[in-house]
Amino acid sequence: MGAAGAKANRSIFAGYHPVLNFVFFGYVVLAPIFFMHPVVLAVSFAAAMSWSLYLNGRKGLKFNLCFVLPLMCVAALFNPAFNHEGATILFYIRDNPITLESIVYGVCAAVMIGGVILWFVCYNAVMTSDKFVYLFGRGIPAMSLILSMALRFIPLYRTQAVRVASARRGIGFDAFSGGFLARVRNGGAILSVLVTWALENAIETSDSMRSRGYGLPGRTAYSIYRFDARDRALLVLMLALVAVVVLAIATGTMKTLYFPLFSVRDAQPLAGIAIACHVALCFLPLALDTREDIVQKIALDNRS
Amino acid sequence: MSIIEIRNLTFTYPGRERPALDGVSLTVDAGEFVVLCGRSGCGKSTLLRHLKTVLTPHGTRAGDVVFDGRPLASVAQREQAARIGFVLQSPDNQIVTDKVWHELAFGLESLGEPTPVIRRRVAEMASFFGIQEWYDKSVFELSGGQKQILALASVMAMQPDALILDEPTSQLDPIAAEDFITTLKKINDEIGTTIILSEHRLEGALPRADRALVMDGGRIVCAGTASDVGRGLARTGDPMLVAMPTPMRVYLAAEGARADDANTRVPQTVREGRLWLARKCGEDCRSASGRLEPSQQLRETTSAESSEPLEQLHGATNVEPPIAPLASLKDVWFRYGREGRDVVKDLTLTVGAGEFVCVVGGNGTGKTTMLGVITGENRYYRGKARVLGFDPRKAKGADLTNAGLAALPQDPQTLFTRNTVLDSLIDIAAARFETDAATGSARGASGRDGNAGGALSDGNASGERSGKMAAVEAEVRRASGLADIDDLMGFHPYDISGGEQQRVGLAMALLTKPKLLLLDEPTKGMDSFFKEKFAGILRGLIERGMGVLMVSHDVEFCAKYADRCALFFDGGVVSEGAPRAFFTGNSFYTTAANRMARGVFPDVVTAEEIAELLTRP
Repeated sequence: MGAAGAKANRSIFAGYHPVLNFVFFGYVVLAPIFFMHPVVLAVSFAAAMSWSLYLNGRKGLKFNLCFVLPLMCVAALFNPAFNHEGATILFYIRDNPITLESIVYGVCAAVMIGGVILWFVCYNAVMTSDKFVYLFGRGIPAMSLILSMALRFIPLYRTQAVRVASARRGIGFDAFSGGFLARVRNGGAILSVLVTWALENAIETSDSMRSRGYGLPGRTAYSIYRFDARDRALLVLMLALVAVVVLAIATGTMKTLYFPLFSVRDAQPLAGIAIACHVALCFLPLALDTREDIVQKIALDNRS
Repeated sequence: MSIIEIRNLTFTYPGRERPALDGVSLTVDAGEFVVLCGRSGCGKSTLLRHLKTVLTPHGTRAGDVVFDGRPLASVAQREQAARIGFVLQSPDNQIVTDKVWHELAFGLESLGEPTPVIRRRVAEMASFFGIQEWYDKSVFELSGGQKQILALASVMAMQPDALILDEPTSQLDPIAAEDFITTLKKINDEIGTTIILSEHRLEGALPRADRALVMDGGRIVCAGTASDVGRGLARTGDPMLVAMPTPMRVYLAAEGARADDANTRVPQTVREGRLWLARKCGEDCRSASGRLEPSQQLRETTSAESSEPLEQLHGATNVEPPIAPLASLKDVWFRYGREGRDVVKDLTLTVGAGEFVCVVGGNGTGKTTMLGVITGENRYYRGKARVLGFDPRKAKGADLTNAGLAALPQDPQTLFTRNTVLDSLIDIAAARFETDAATGSARGASGRDGNAGGALSDGNASGERSGKMAAVEAEVRRASGLADIDDLMGFHPYDISGGEQQRVGLAMALLTKPKLLLLDEPTKGMDSFFKEKFAGILRGLIERGMGVLMVSHDVEFCAKYADRCALFFDGGVVSEGAPRAFFTGNSFYTTAANRMARGVFPDVVTAEEIAELLTRP
């Protein structure tokens, strides 16, 4: 999967069991979508931004500034331009009322979208294909093998397609020149070569699999992940935090109204606790990583 | 104690008359290292596949295969999977999963081993093979040699008693192949696993094996220690002798009847060859100065240039540029992308009409990239290049092909579009016919572009269709005759051997009527007979005035057949010259014959020459 930055390889949180990684990303992506509480959104965005920068370094900063921020601006402007609900009319553009509520909603939606995109950036750096295969192929051993084979064949076929195009170019069939029909014919020929090649070579792959006992009853699925005490402790903590937030939502403590009037429920103790839990959850990986960096630095300093 | 015993095995593929195996009997002891050799199609693979039930081909069979005292058929699949390891030819095809660690665990997963057991075995294998560094990598990041080592390690993780390998190094470059064979020897020595290996590159395998078997026409024609096999082949004048390592060939040719003494060891490595040669020349070669005299010309198998007096060649490291070069590169630089490093650096090279130029050099030095610069696929950014009157950087589409440039890819399978060799050739010939017609009529009706002309000639008359078919068929016949593939036309392109596939690829390239032909490692995976045949075809084309530029690892082939050789290193040509001057000027990167005779006969580059000097009256 995506090119991971230097720090992604040694992120402590990424080293936890894939189930924990997945629970975390499930929460941070779904939470802002399901309850658009402005504080929740802001916290989630800030956490996503800082962790993505931590993981991807300068490359990440470039992506965030050049892609995520402009996208958020567009999203923020989009809503007030087309949504005219809301009681507080600020001014008119060509007889269209621009309301305070729709501006607030637009900004919140933009923060939500930006946050979700940034969480996916982090997901890409942390959730390697191994973890994906492990999580989704766990129940059925055959499934994890199929996923793993698919991930092997995609780059293999891509490379071979490039080779075929280049080989055909060498004897005068350039895939990128000539008329439309010539190109279509050429593309068809490349596909035909590729399909024949794949089918013929699959015979050897199948020999290799059967020769190593594939098809014997009782196949197991090996994984390089181990669920240890450290994973259990953190998972319990995470689930407890999630439970508090869910409780707060279920009781309606954190209900936010945008239209017709923007209103957030008055501060209640439970809402405060829930937000504290949300902060703890969102910043959990960054906190773990930073703590580890400090521990390592002290260890190194002491040695020298 | 024998682990594998084959008794009088005869096997015929369905629909064939001749048996693929004809009364083969063979006993392999536990812990033995056996090398099986023979030309392509002699039945090596068929024999090896009989040693594991799931891989055994369908057909009629007589005789017994016994594994560890029991008939193989009665050994449970689970036991066979674990105890008989099988490594196949292609590094890419036999790898199944996307990650190195998963591939290592694959067989153990099949056997249903629990995770802790798999973890330990995988760790052991990774440590034994020294592949810890790539443990977490994706398999597509690995080189061909690394993939083949991974395939071997993933079989070894199941702890087999016998390891069977079917031409495992044929797709590898010489250095990776040598590493692979060394690893096999290590397994054999340190773990005691029985090894049965089929090979056509015998330089590395033969000296390490306990026993060699030669197959021909489905029979084992010669068996014993490498020395015995060499003597046996020499006695019967078997053509398989040309596949033996250089020192063996020289020894057997030079010693003649004296080589028959069964107690002496036939030299197999360059070191043994040198020792033998030094001793031999102490006896009776003192008189011969050890230098080839211009008057005593050797039979030259190579070029017009190498028949020039040798003295003259020696001084000249730079050969005169040939008249009217077909391709000339001057100080050319290339890199992939602006941020990339330079892959081709300061490269100067010419290829003339009727000239066979070979570029040799290690892996990853940029040889293949250089071919791309000539075809225009890789656009150089500095220097000057001229190919058949075009600047390859500016040539569009099929310009260069129409001007007479053809490039044959490393893997000819990338060109096979149809189910038979004939149809694949017709495809290309038909397309070429249309282009020719298009450009032809475009020239006639001035002012029209090529496509409009083509449409016109297509629409003319239905009578032209049969004329076209006849022309296409004539073209296909011509190309197939040149490439010597007339008897392959009805086959599926995947059912013929690697060497035959190369010749079909060559025929495809010839359909474009090239003046300049680029070849990328054509001898990879070819056995010695196919190489000779291939060289003969190439020489025929070159005599007709074609220029051939070949990049290769195959030093012996280049020394024997090229007009000019160039050493490619770090993106450029560091030295070049006629093969004799070139290879005698190199100290390490040269033929085995030259390394063997260095200091005694400084001028020789092939085994035949040493033998001739030694037996000269």
